[in-house]
Amino acid sequence: MRATRSLSGTTVSSIFTLLLVLCITLAFGSSATAKSASSTGDSVLVILDSAKKVDYSIFLQGLEAKGYTVTVRSPRDESPLLIEDGLPNFSHVVFLASDTKNFAKDISPQTLVELLTLGTNLVLTLGLKQNLLTSLAPEFSLLLPPPATPLVSFFPERSDSPSVIPIAFDTKSVPNDTFSVLSQVENKIWFSGTPFALSANPLLFPILHAPAESFAADLSDSPGLVADALADAAEKGGEGFWAGSTLSVVAGFQTLIGGGTGHGNDAGPGEDKQSRVVWVGGPSLFSDEFATKKVVEKVETERGKSVVEKPSGNEQAAMDIAGWAFQEHGVLRIDEVKHHKVNQTDAPETYTTNDEIVYTVKISSFNPTTGKWERYSDLKDLQLEFTMLDPHVRTALPAVRGQKGVYSTTFRAPDRHGVFKFVINYKRKGFSHLLHTLIVPVVPPRHDGYPRFLSAAWPYYIGAISTSVGFLLFSAIYLAGEVKEEKKSKKE
Amino acid sequence: MKLFAFVSFLAIPLAFAAKDGKDKLISLAASGNGVIRLDASTFDLLTAPNRDWSVAIQFTALDPRRRCTPCKEFDPSWNAVAKAWTTVSAEQRDNHFFATLDFDEAPTVFQKLNLASAPLVWVYPPTEGPRASTRNLPSKYDFSTGYEAGPLSIHLSNHTPVPIPYKAPIDWARWLTVVAGLLSFALTLRFIAPVLQSRWLWGAVTIITSLTMNGGFMFTRIRGSPYTGHDGAWISPGTQTQFGQEVQVVAAVYGTLAFSFVMLTMIVPYQSSPARQRVQVYLWSGVIMLVYSVLVTLFRVKNRGYPFKLLL
Amino acid sequence: MAIHTQVWRAVYGKSADAIEKSVENVDESIRAIICIPRLFPFTFGHVDGLPLSNNVSPTTVANTASLLRIVAFGLISAAAIASRLFAVINFESIIHEFDPWFNYRATRVLAAKGFYEFWNWFDPTAWYPLGRVVGGTVYPGLMATSGVIYNFLHYFNLPVDIRNICVLLAPGFSALTAWATYMFTTEMKDSSAGLLAAAFIGIVPGYISRSVAGSYDNEAIAIFLLMITFYLWIAALKQGSALYGTLAAVFYFYMVAAWGGYAFITNMIPVHALVLLLMGRFSGRLYVAYCSWYAIGTLSSMQVPFVGFQPVRTSEHMGALGVFGLLQIVAFASLVRSHLSSKQFQDLLTVSVISMGLLGAGAFIVMTYKGWIAPWTGRFYSLWDTGYAKKYIPIIASVSEHQPTAWPSFFMDLQFLIFLFPAGVVLCFRDLRDEHVFVIIYAVVASYFAGVMVRLMLTLTPVVCVSAAVALSTLLDIYVDVAEPAVPENENSSANGTGAATADAKKAKKNAAVGSQAGPNAAAAASSTLSDIVNAAKSSSKSSPSKQKGIWGADARLVIILNAIGMLVYFVFHCTWVTANAYSSPSVVLASSNPDGSQHLIDDYREAYYWLRMNTPQDAVVMSWWDYGYQIAGMADRGTLVDNNTWNNTHIATVGKAMSSPEEIAYPILRQHDVDYVLVIFGGLLGYSGDDINKFLWMVRIAQGVWPDEIQEPNYFTPTGEYRVDERASDAMKNSLMYKMSYYRFAELYGNGNAIDRVRNQNIPKIGPTLDYVEEAFTSENWIVRIFKVRKEDPLGRDLKSANAFAQGKKRKRSKPVSRRRAVV
Repeated sequence: MRATRSLSGTTVSSIFTLLLVLCITLAFGSSATAKSASSTGDSVLVILDSAKKVDYSIFLQGLEAKGYTVTVRSPRDESPLLIEDGLPNFSHVVFLASDTKNFAKDISPQTLVELLTLGTNLVLTLGLKQNLLTSLAPEFSLLLPPPATPLVSFFPERSDSPSVIPIAFDTKSVPNDTFSVLSQVENKIWFSGTPFALSANPLLFPILHAPAESFAADLSDSPGLVADALADAAEKGGEGFWAGSTLSVVAGFQTLIGGGTGHGNDAGPGEDKQSRVVWVGGPSLFSDEFATKKVVEKVETERGKSVVEKPSGNEQAAMDIAGWAFQEHGVLRIDEVKHHKVNQTDAPETYTTNDEIVYTVKISSFNPTTGKWERYSDLKDLQLEFTMLDPHVRTALPAVRGQKGVYSTTFRAPDRHGVFKFVINYKRKGFSHLLHTLIVPVVPPRHDGYPRFLSAAWPYYIGAISTSVGFLLFSAIYLAGEVKEEKKSKKE
Repeated sequence: MKLFAFVSFLAIPLAFAAKDGKDKLISLAASGNGVIRLDASTFDLLTAPNRDWSVAIQFTALDPRRRCTPCKEFDPSWNAVAKAWTTVSAEQRDNHFFATLDFDEAPTVFQKLNLASAPLVWVYPPTEGPRASTRNLPSKYDFSTGYEAGPLSIHLSNHTPVPIPYKAPIDWARWLTVVAGLLSFALTLRFIAPVLQSRWLWGAVTIITSLTMNGGFMFTRIRGSPYTGHDGAWISPGTQTQFGQEVQVVAAVYGTLAFSFVMLTMIVPYQSSPARQRVQVYLWSGVIMLVYSVLVTLFRVKNRGYPFKLLL
Repeated sequence: MAIHTQVWRAVYGKSADAIEKSVENVDESIRAIICIPRLFPFTFGHVDGLPLSNNVSPTTVANTASLLRIVAFGLISAAAIASRLFAVINFESIIHEFDPWFNYRATRVLAAKGFYEFWNWFDPTAWYPLGRVVGGTVYPGLMATSGVIYNFLHYFNLPVDIRNICVLLAPGFSALTAWATYMFTTEMKDSSAGLLAAAFIGIVPGYISRSVAGSYDNEAIAIFLLMITFYLWIAALKQGSALYGTLAAVFYFYMVAAWGGYAFITNMIPVHALVLLLMGRFSGRLYVAYCSWYAIGTLSSMQVPFVGFQPVRTSEHMGALGVFGLLQIVAFASLVRSHLSSKQFQDLLTVSVISMGLLGAGAFIVMTYKGWIAPWTGRFYSLWDTGYAKKYIPIIASVSEHQPTAWPSFFMDLQFLIFLFPAGVVLCFRDLRDEHVFVIIYAVVASYFAGVMVRLMLTLTPVVCVSAAVALSTLLDIYVDVAEPAVPENENSSANGTGAATADAKKAKKNAAVGSQAGPNAAAAASSTLSDIVNAAKSSSKSSPSKQKGIWGADARLVIILNAIGMLVYFVFHCTWVTANAYSSPSVVLASSNPDGSQHLIDDYREAYYWLRMNTPQDAVVMSWWDYGYQIAGMADRGTLVDNNTWNNTHIATVGKAMSSPEEIAYPILRQHDVDYVLVIFGGLLGYSGDDINKFLWMVRIAQGVWPDEIQEPNYFTPTGEYRVDERASDAMKNSLMYKMSYYRFAELYGNGNAIDRVRNQNIPKIGPTLDYVEEAFTSENWIVRIFKVRKEDPLGRDLKSANAFAQGKKRKRSKPVSRRRAVV
């Protein structure tokens, strides 16, 4: 990508038609490959044993079909590096080698976190055994059950092992202000792996809950004996009983944008890249096996129960999960911010206290199908803060009718001078965060900005006038009476 | 007393202990004129881990053997504030206690809290009840505002349920002296008027004032520097310090020099006989040279780097 | 009025009217001599000292004398300016220490944008995020002055850099100060005393300390304004001229616009008027002079935005107002008295006048007490109640130049003037004219203030120079005069003496008292020469000496003159040494000397400020203790939270709290105030004692003033009450942000050797403090300035401490997750 850009750059400057033609073809090629559904880039690294590559062919082909360039790297390979010269080599990383114990040295929890700060999106799949991910999970405030305790459920009755569970996604479980990732999935999703609980971290939100009747238990040593399993699970070092729909099997995480001081690089939208992480309980959710595995359901009909086979929703789910993680959906950005006094057009250097200020922001979201940014008017609860130490003004920022993606409000500057900040700080789960700070001083009126004539000051006016008039009279009389004075003094 | 020490030592349900422990404290406070004289056991009772009362404790060492002058200085104002607290209505009063812990009565407590200095004032917030505070650590009162009762009561009022109704007692003696002075002045005005109107009286006052001020009197006053050093040294090296005695010496030196000049200017020229005049001229010039060199020497003691010197 | 006449009798032994006349006459004579020179000081002037040979016409002599005077004065100015250039020669043409940097910055704005823009200048970078309305919170006189000079020079196409104007303003004005002092002293005695005073004020260290080249501060011009205003006041008082009163008012306005110390004038002149009133010296001249000065001066001073309505509100100005009212009453009374003659009526009038005065005073006191008029401002209050500042306004107490003065500073700054000064005051008492009363009051008040605050030494210096000059020139007048008195007969002299003795025995005793308190040998001398004192007192009490005075013999003269010359020479050496060594370093650049004696410059401040200017975003905000606010704004051109204009106690306390709290408490404060960098001064490596650890206790105190139960000073001492920074330091100390930033990685510098803090002389523990919420950004060559960057929030929403632990804990990552599981269910 970079190479082609630089080449096309040279073409512009060069005059050799041959080169020109060559580069046009190149440019075409690159633009063709660059047409991915992600808003942040289209190079994907999949960490996976090359032996197992075949097991995930559907998923990988799906990605390629979406326009991503997929690179597969075995956990022990030294190359390609995740980070080279402080820059990430890939814009997305999918971590499917969850059963591997030890990795190449550049794959470590620290590097993964660093990738996030560099703007790379991650899809991380946990395994049953402990590996670097189990040590990384707590940093995302994920709470894992003890190792080697998969999620098991005996409902619905089926032939598979209890640790292979069909999970239905119901839209009701998603709050209104949260972006629902799996809304397209109507079929049940096969899942096998470990569940996890989410502790209270506003950046973390569940994508797919575990079924209500499922629980985490180690059934390997006591085959089929549920009671023992439950007992064991309950006895595990007072760690509580891992069960129910409070657990999730897929969770999303959005990194925080730091700064917001409004100085230097933190001014405006800030320089921090925002990246997304998806934690999945087990890699098999992406596997061909589950994608093709049929879901057997017993449907109640008037003629007794009948067995219905439905396709699984795994393929769709995998694509949607990857799609969200790779910032295809729910991606917002602030295009433009304008502020000015009422009845004016351009932004002043400073505002005066009690000015009427108009603040306008244009917001657009990324459309994966067209690969373009489109104006977005559907934010209902956008707010603007005008802060100095504390918000002096906090007002709703409604969308303007008629103009797509334009939000605007008018408010009065507080009657207090100082350095204020326009702050938009919009954080909703599943949507990329909107943070925008803009510093503007609010100054007291100029020396000639005050009212000239005060009716309250009449006493002073009268005083001044009367004094001067009196002085005039006095001097006039005094000068007139001069001669007599002379005489008097002469007499004495 | 013993019983309660026992009770609070075996920490049997403390709420209970606290309950009648509190009655005990109230009676103690009442008997002690608002101040509880603590020993090790009552200290533990007073600062029981769960208490719905706040307590201000003065750690002191009043025994003459300890030679703790600040303690003696501070103790009366402490008692005054505690006394003022007793005038508060009962239900408020019983939620805050004043206590005094003397080193000689409970050295173990000093060791336990490893206190090495006195006086100290610690305020323990309540851990239960409406005023319960999250941090159980006592807050310390710092004596930067001196040992007076006024600032103390203001500070403690932040921790008591209601502000302490402390009022500084009116200093009748002072007022009386002031009034008496004024009266006597008014009465004797007719007789001392000539004195007041003599310019040389005012001159003397002016000169003395300016000499004292230039001698660094205000420095010793504000910094409260001692009259002499510990080893009896009357002059302290260093330009930014000085002892009380230096003020007198320096003022005397300045005065002598000024006086000599006045003599040379105002007296000597009016001499009647050349001989006396000559003698005086030499005398005063000698005095000036001598005392001036003394002054420079003094200054060299204060300021080592000073390069110049006169006769001495 | 009866009392007044008594006063007159006591003082002059004549009746009041006669005195007033005689005073008038004296005035006439003086005016005749001085009125012309006042307009153009050096053309004429009466000659004193040497007797004239007869064949020279008096005008020739006068012209020669004035020519000599002009030459002398030119030399004095040259010396005054030259001795202030040490700083430029030793270092460079640079603005000094702290406040001057703000003045310089403001002056640049003024020169660049013009006066109105300066007036409306709102500085968003200072006191972030509150900002500072500079136009309304600054005394613009200094900036306006240099702005005028700048525009003047540029109008004549002299492209002088504004910085050089600022650097050289103070020396230039010192010459003017010398001139003003000359005029003032001329009013006191004569122009020869004036020249002496000018020479003294020109080179006396007490004034140089605030006016070397580069110390571009208000005092640089304020002292000139002080002296010129006083001179004009005296002139107006002497001839009762409204013109001079108005001129005094104009310069008073200039003073108000230039320096907060104008309150000194505001109270000196009324006190003088009041004392004259009490001495029964009320006259039309006093009335005209005072009223013209007060009315115009007050009205014009209210035009300064920063002052506004204070002159009619705050108590500092109430004295002037009260005296103004009192003068009206007295004037009215005397008017009535001149028209009526009934004795009873006069008594009634006197009583009523006094009672009205008392009423006014009482009402004023009550209003102050009730707070209807604004109470005394803290700085002013701390002058009277010396314990006040430390208790209630630690910010004021923390300022170094608000400390009391020890006697060495007096001698350092004034040298032999300090003991000539009382002699001069005594001479003022001898012939007690109105202007002498002024000097006397000035002497007392200024000595007190100079004793209370080091910075007020500045106001003491002029009066010391004046009265010392009076004393010395009187001495020289007597001993240079070559005319010898005729040897008198003994008997009539003795008779004269004895008669005098019997007559004025009381006075003599009093003088003896004066002598005895002045020192033992003085007492002896006094007793020995009793009759002489008597003569002196007698002669002084008459307008003309009782008998001729003079010195016999050349040797006596020679002794005195040589003595005096020796002292003067020594004085010059002293001043030069003090100026060169003590008062000429621009605390921005520190000078130390290498082992070989050569000078070594420590330039850490500018190094660090330049780093800030070059490596941080234009609008970055730097948090530091307020001492360095102006320098950061001036040299680094970055925003600051607090600076040397300490107008907002809470904001300063906030910084103090952040500095003295643990990191995790300080971090939210830093984030709330959008702090990007934190700057600390650390002298431990170099032994630079003026660093932040030594100022730390003030930060704690000031923070404690606002958050008494969060920050407590005792916690920062060891249990034994010591202030330590080694491993025995208290926990609050060790965890405070200031301590951590100061000693961060300090021990590593010494490898295995033990790290010694050269200021505190204590060993710093091997395992130094760790920083999680800020990271080291810059440390200057000698570690004097250390700059730390405030880190952003963790992208995973963890607190930065655990984030750091994770980033470093590569080894122990396996053990982590198990520990976290208890939180569930």
